[in-house]
Amino acid sequence: MNLIEALEFLKQAVPEDEHPLKVFLACGFTPLHLQTFFAAQLRKRLPRQRVEVKTGLFRDLAGSIERLPSSGCDVLAVVIEWQDLDPRLGIRSLGGWRTADLPDVVKSANQAAARLEQAVRRTSTFIPVCVCLPTLPLPPLFTTPTRQAGAYELQLRQLVASFAASISNESSIRVLNTQHLDELSPPHARFDVQLELMTGFPYKLPHASAIAELLAALTQNSEPKKGLITDLDDTLWAGIVGEVGTERISWDLDEHTHMHGLYQQFLCSLASAGVLIAVASKNDRALVEKAFERRDMILSKENVYPFEVHWSRKSESALRILKTWNIGPEAVVFIDDSPMEVAEVKAEFPEMECIVFPKNDYQAIWDLLKRVRDLFGKSIVSTEDSIRLKSIRGAAALRNAREVSGDSLDDFLQSADASIRFTFGKQAADSRAFELINKTNQFNLNGKRLSDAAWKTYLNDPATFLMTASYEDKFGPLGKIAVLLGRIQGKVLKIDSWVMSCRAFSRRIEHQSLKQLFQKFDAEEICFDYQATPRNGPLQEFFTGLLGAPPVTDLRFSRTAFSGRSPSLFHRVEEVVNG
Amino acid sequence: MDEMEARLIRCFSSVFPDLAAEQIPTSSVESVPAWDSLAAVTLVAVLQEEFGLQINLIDLPELVSFAAVRNYVRKHKNPS
Repeated sequence: MNLIEALEFLKQAVPEDEHPLKVFLACGFTPLHLQTFFAAQLRKRLPRQRVEVKTGLFRDLAGSIERLPSSGCDVLAVVIEWQDLDPRLGIRSLGGWRTADLPDVVKSANQAAARLEQAVRRTSTFIPVCVCLPTLPLPPLFTTPTRQAGAYELQLRQLVASFAASISNESSIRVLNTQHLDELSPPHARFDVQLELMTGFPYKLPHASAIAELLAALTQNSEPKKGLITDLDDTLWAGIVGEVGTERISWDLDEHTHMHGLYQQFLCSLASAGVLIAVASKNDRALVEKAFERRDMILSKENVYPFEVHWSRKSESALRILKTWNIGPEAVVFIDDSPMEVAEVKAEFPEMECIVFPKNDYQAIWDLLKRVRDLFGKSIVSTEDSIRLKSIRGAAALRNAREVSGDSLDDFLQSADASIRFTFGKQAADSRAFELINKTNQFNLNGKRLSDAAWKTYLNDPATFLMTASYEDKFGPLGKIAVLLGRIQGKVLKIDSWVMSCRAFSRRIEHQSLKQLFQKFDAEEICFDYQATPRNGPLQEFFTGLLGAPPVTDLRFSRTAFSGRSPSLFHRVEEVVNG
Repeated sequence: MDEMEARLIRCFSSVFPDLAAEQIPTSSVESVPAWDSLAAVTLVAVLQEEFGLQINLIDLPELVSFAAVRNYVRKHKNPS
């Protein structure tokens, strides 16, 4: 985006909005064009929302952050430059570049970084914070020739790296990836010396534009995809197994097919971060099973579920995989080396990201890995991520077991050896609870989403409570699968938000959750902020079953009514209170 | 109005969104309250982008009206 486009973007009318996104841009220099680009990029990403970008005081980065009130702002974006750590690391200060000054420069930079870290951490307790580390070149104040890195320069770089590594452990802090910025904005073409000296703004326009684009993307991280469906022949491995046999397919340096090995290793990495991996291949099933028994196979069959290996259309395989995973096509990436297969699946599922695997093109495969990482990238890998595949296998086993046994649901649940752990405690850092509220569609009380800031504000309200539920049965753990947010008003509970993962359906966890609420708070009545949405059919069915009629807004029912209608519950229940 | 003048008007309109198109050709630092030092720097950046010029910020004090900007751009776009 160039400056004229950014200014034109900002001229466009936006609808009046009661809740504009308020972003604070903290930088030690005059924000000038960076503010313009940043506001335009945010507007581009949020065309229906009013965006306000405010800035702090010139040359007082840490102070601007420290003075930020705990309410009134939704996101903080921090852009650090070397002169914020010590003015002598900029060019507007003439504080001295003598050799004797260097130890003191490093020392004061350390102190400034410590102050910044404290300010950023404090702010991250109430709003998300995005941080851009120094992007400009250090001035030539070191004694070494510029081609040689000197000890003081390296100490400064180490200090910034340590600062970044330390804050990036916080779930509410996101650090802009300098390697990615380098790709968009070449380091040698960033610094505008004249502009810095005459106006206090140090960036050339393309650099300001690149930082703004990445910062805006960082403040509005998109929902990561959940599942990847991969082909096998000439994709997961080189060669067609049905033609060359299981011993001749390859993914190694000797056969010049190493990029397939990298792809396998990459899929393993995704699987270990909770991404669901499935296979859709037109192949002989026995051959594929034999291929997966090869000891040098990097992606093991334990990483993959389900395998759709037959001669039917790929779109049919994709449909069955979606059903098994119980997720929508918009959350899935399909990869196949055949453009025809990719086109066939794309025609059936336009929302699915369908990608042709560029076999024999090393650079294109490398770019594909980076693209797929972006599609699945997430800030935190949770416990639930690590057990997702296990729980989906467990759910399938549960369905199969029930079909085979022919038991009634009561008999079946009684033998499931299920336990639920209810946790009460308002932990704002509970990223899984926050994630469930913002991504669950089917069992969702009203479809309302919460921003980071709204989530923290809600939990800080003394009248509110947060209950989460974790489930496990003999088929495996499901992890944390339900979240309930509410308020206590005497003997009445008002439920503002209630979501449950679709993986947890048909186990009467929702009934046990309500029973737990009545008991825990000795409540006589529960009122629900219920709203029908296009996708919360399963929740509507639950209420219809419980009430004997479809739910309506201002939904409420008493303890007596619930007790009379609730089916038998067989779970072992444990209650945990945190904080 | 020639093509260059139309592009100039677009630049001015980007930087001074409240200025009506017919006011732009007669606009100046005196007549446009929003024309402060930051707006002047933004205007220079926009002109550089639009016309591919390298404008030295030392020349900023010259660029105090639409007419002055038009003359400056003409001179530097066609230095002969």
